[in-house]
Amino acid sequence: MADTSTNESSTEGDGEIKVTIGSAADCGLDRDSASPKQAQLPLRQVPQPIVNGGSKVWDITERFTQASQALKIGQLVKDEYFTLFESIGALEIMDPKMDSGFLQPGETLEENYDALRTLLPEEVLGIMDQLLCYEMAWHQGYPLSQTLFTSVYIDRLLWPEPRSLEEAQFYRGNPGRVTDALQDVLRAYCLGIIKSCDFVIGKITSRDYFEEEDFCTHTYNRSLFSKVPHDFVLHELEIAEEILATDVDDIDETVKAAINCRLEFRRNFLVALSPDYSINFLDKYWPPVSALLPAIESSHELARVVPDAFSTKIQRRLTSTVPPRPIVELEFKDAFAKLKQLCEDCAEATKYTFLDPAPEEYQSFLWAFASRKVQPSAYARSYLAGFVFAGDNEIFEGLLRDDLAAMVFPEDQVLDPINWTIDAPRNPLFPKDKRLQMASIIDDFTNRAVQNYVELWTALCQNRCRMRRMLCHSLLAFDQLQSDASILDDELQALTSDLQQYPLTTWVYHLKLRQIEWIIQLGFEQDIYLPDELAGMYLFLAKVAETRNRLLSTLLEFWEQRQKRLEKGKKVDVEKAAKVQEGKAYIEALLAEAVGTEELSAALSSLYTLLSYLHLLPQPPRPFSSPELRYDLRTKPFALLQPVEIIPFDTLTTHIHPFGPHAAPTSPSESIVKHLQQATTYQPIDASVKRAKDAFAKLKKLGPKAASAEGVKEQWSGRVQGRLFSCVAAGVAVAGLRGMAGELVSTADAEGKLRVEGVAEGEGEGKRYHEWWIVPKVVKL
Amino acid sequence: MSNNNAPTDIADLQYVQYQGSKEATYLPAIRQLISKDLSEPYSIYVYRYFLYQWGELCYMALDSTSLIGVVVCKLEHHRSGTFRGYIAMLAVQETHRGKGIATKLVSMAIDAMTARDADEIVLETEVTNTASLKLYERLGFLRSKRLHRYYLNGNTAFRLILYLKPGTATKGAQQLGDSGEMLPQQQHLEPGYGPSVTPV
Repeated sequence: MADTSTNESSTEGDGEIKVTIGSAADCGLDRDSASPKQAQLPLRQVPQPIVNGGSKVWDITERFTQASQALKIGQLVKDEYFTLFESIGALEIMDPKMDSGFLQPGETLEENYDALRTLLPEEVLGIMDQLLCYEMAWHQGYPLSQTLFTSVYIDRLLWPEPRSLEEAQFYRGNPGRVTDALQDVLRAYCLGIIKSCDFVIGKITSRDYFEEEDFCTHTYNRSLFSKVPHDFVLHELEIAEEILATDVDDIDETVKAAINCRLEFRRNFLVALSPDYSINFLDKYWPPVSALLPAIESSHELARVVPDAFSTKIQRRLTSTVPPRPIVELEFKDAFAKLKQLCEDCAEATKYTFLDPAPEEYQSFLWAFASRKVQPSAYARSYLAGFVFAGDNEIFEGLLRDDLAAMVFPEDQVLDPINWTIDAPRNPLFPKDKRLQMASIIDDFTNRAVQNYVELWTALCQNRCRMRRMLCHSLLAFDQLQSDASILDDELQALTSDLQQYPLTTWVYHLKLRQIEWIIQLGFEQDIYLPDELAGMYLFLAKVAETRNRLLSTLLEFWEQRQKRLEKGKKVDVEKAAKVQEGKAYIEALLAEAVGTEELSAALSSLYTLLSYLHLLPQPPRPFSSPELRYDLRTKPFALLQPVEIIPFDTLTTHIHPFGPHAAPTSPSESIVKHLQQATTYQPIDASVKRAKDAFAKLKKLGPKAASAEGVKEQWSGRVQGRLFSCVAAGVAVAGLRGMAGELVSTADAEGKLRVEGVAEGEGEGKRYHEWWIVPKVVKL
Repeated sequence: MSNNNAPTDIADLQYVQYQGSKEATYLPAIRQLISKDLSEPYSIYVYRYFLYQWGELCYMALDSTSLIGVVVCKLEHHRSGTFRGYIAMLAVQETHRGKGIATKLVSMAIDAMTARDADEIVLETEVTNTASLKLYERLGFLRSKRLHRYYLNGNTAFRLILYLKPGTATKGAQQLGDSGEMLPQQQHLEPGYGPSVTPV
């Protein structure tokens, strides 16, 4: 109930609580009837208000103390809207860890660094590089209050809010004082940083992002020169370069060059961050920034730190409702690596605009970008999203139609542009032209589907954890869409028999199945599944991929039929046949990938099942859980899908528990060992691994063009190679187990003779050939 | 109550349900024990938020003089439609770790929530806190999702879930809403125990 929003109450620490008329009523302190005990309080005279300016202040300390005695210790007076969030937001004044205004004996309220002290050139360099460290820490997701806003120099420029750029000076509040050349140089650099931050916030907030998870946009009521055109700031930086060249002559040339390259960097960085870019020169913005980085890195050793120029005390003036928090220290080499990464990621992102304008190409690019070794930062992702979502929904409706054409309408009359040029008959009693009807069915579909489609693309632009969570939502939306699509398919089918069966449903269903696969595979990547869950999860993945395999096989047959038929036709049809043949490669690539996924998953599921009976995978006792309940939890994101995709519990159990529960098998140990020693046990697993390898090899041979990943050839090839290596590793693991099985007498023997690596917590991190494939290593002891 | 560090025979420990009437006895020790491993202390309101409303879901391990361990929970209807338990804080004195005290406390909390008809129990823990993950996973919790930069210190978390009743999944899945609590980061509770809790 104490007001912690004013510094006076907390810093003076006199315990006096000031309440205005409004808030006294809100607190319920005047409502004596609120509790029977309160009603017994003696009536007192209302104290005279102290009139202070326009507001009236009553001293209610005594009343408050008395009233609060009616409460039991620990009793919480709250309404139903008082949430955990609010309780966590509460601060206890006079607790040094919570009360940012608390002063230790002898401590001053404000930092006492003199922003006008003379700086050595090396110190200017030190401050510039320290600012860069904090800027990168901020990019990582920490708030400005713990990073850049701890700088006294930045603080002087931003507060009180300057009315113009000229007013933003280090000597504010000290009229009559002037700055020297080096201070002017530092000021320009700071202005550049502030405007950079403004651009960064503008970009990130214009896209889908999660505050505090991805990034902190809070500026604590400071305006980061949002209204100042960036040309003005660029001009300040240019002047600073001139000042440095002409007015600063008694300093070491190497230091001078170091300062200069930082100014130059800041100028180029600011230009690259600017939202006003020219689409034709997009490949020209980031290379100059990156080009200046080596000079910054190599000259950092000249820098001399000025720790006093940064202080957490500034936080007191930023906000009083947050506890004092430490400065986030990022080492220069780490900050520099982040900066380098940021520039590379942004340069990479610009390539999006130069891709073949095909939805499959775009999506391949988004996957490759999200799968970069170091996850791109929130800014880099927003920067890319800026290109992806540059247009309105109409652009996505176009992409959606292209997507349909590439999957289910090969050179098809349904998507013939002519269909959209036909007028409706004047007399509504006349039948509409079939082509017009087709166009309106497709329009109905794209109108209905575009939002889901956009959301799927949005998910692909998120951080990896969020991507998996958003795909779970998107999946349910596509499930709904699937049932709607089947109605439109019936309408299409009534107009023409020359169609892939249920084309729209096929398209939706395929994308839905892919999303299920992605969710499971991102689960493997993010260590969501425990080692003893792998057999079941890979079995589920195999089943989903098998369904997709069947769907694509049927689709491929249709493409082939159409190609053959067109080949026999007129010249114009023969040309179309060639296009169908070209487009068919995409379906083949999808099919190869689905088959590889199905087979490798099936092999891994079998392998993990065998390893489980040898007690080579950790199996928690789980006294509070049951296999059925865990099954419910695991299948939750997929439980409501139509048609049913999840494997029924009993079927799953039969598959992964062929000898009863892993920890307490119902079959005797000898018969399990016997099973493990039979060649027939391994033949189907080896066969699966081989089929997986063949499928991924086929995908590799089809190449990035067929897979619509021309724009990200290298990453695409790397990931296909990773899948191939995973197959090889799986084959080695199967052979390893088989080789050892002959030496076993009972299942309990295995523990001393074999070890499974690469499966437990953190073991796979960065060591897998492909993040989606957890392949065990069976090691002989 | 004090938090002394003298090792005690765990056989002598008493496991006690929290009582609101003894706040003055217990709360200072609980706060001290939990704050030890936090970068930022919780205000008294956070403790009272839980203890005043769900004191019966708080269990303490006590020796003759001091508080050795504590678990703090809540149980309420979640917007997904389930009756959801939440383990908010768990702490055991450093000198007493590795003896199964945390496991015992959590087990008691699970039993208490089960008796009150909870559908499920959830919690978050840092992805790097192996000891904590092991503790909960041994009891039956599974990881449901990874939460990017969940804690104030920038660390990522796993959400762990334990279903207690059949049908919980479909109860929760009837809505499109996220099964997680999508509140701003300040809300997130830091794990109330150090990185070296080792269950027995």
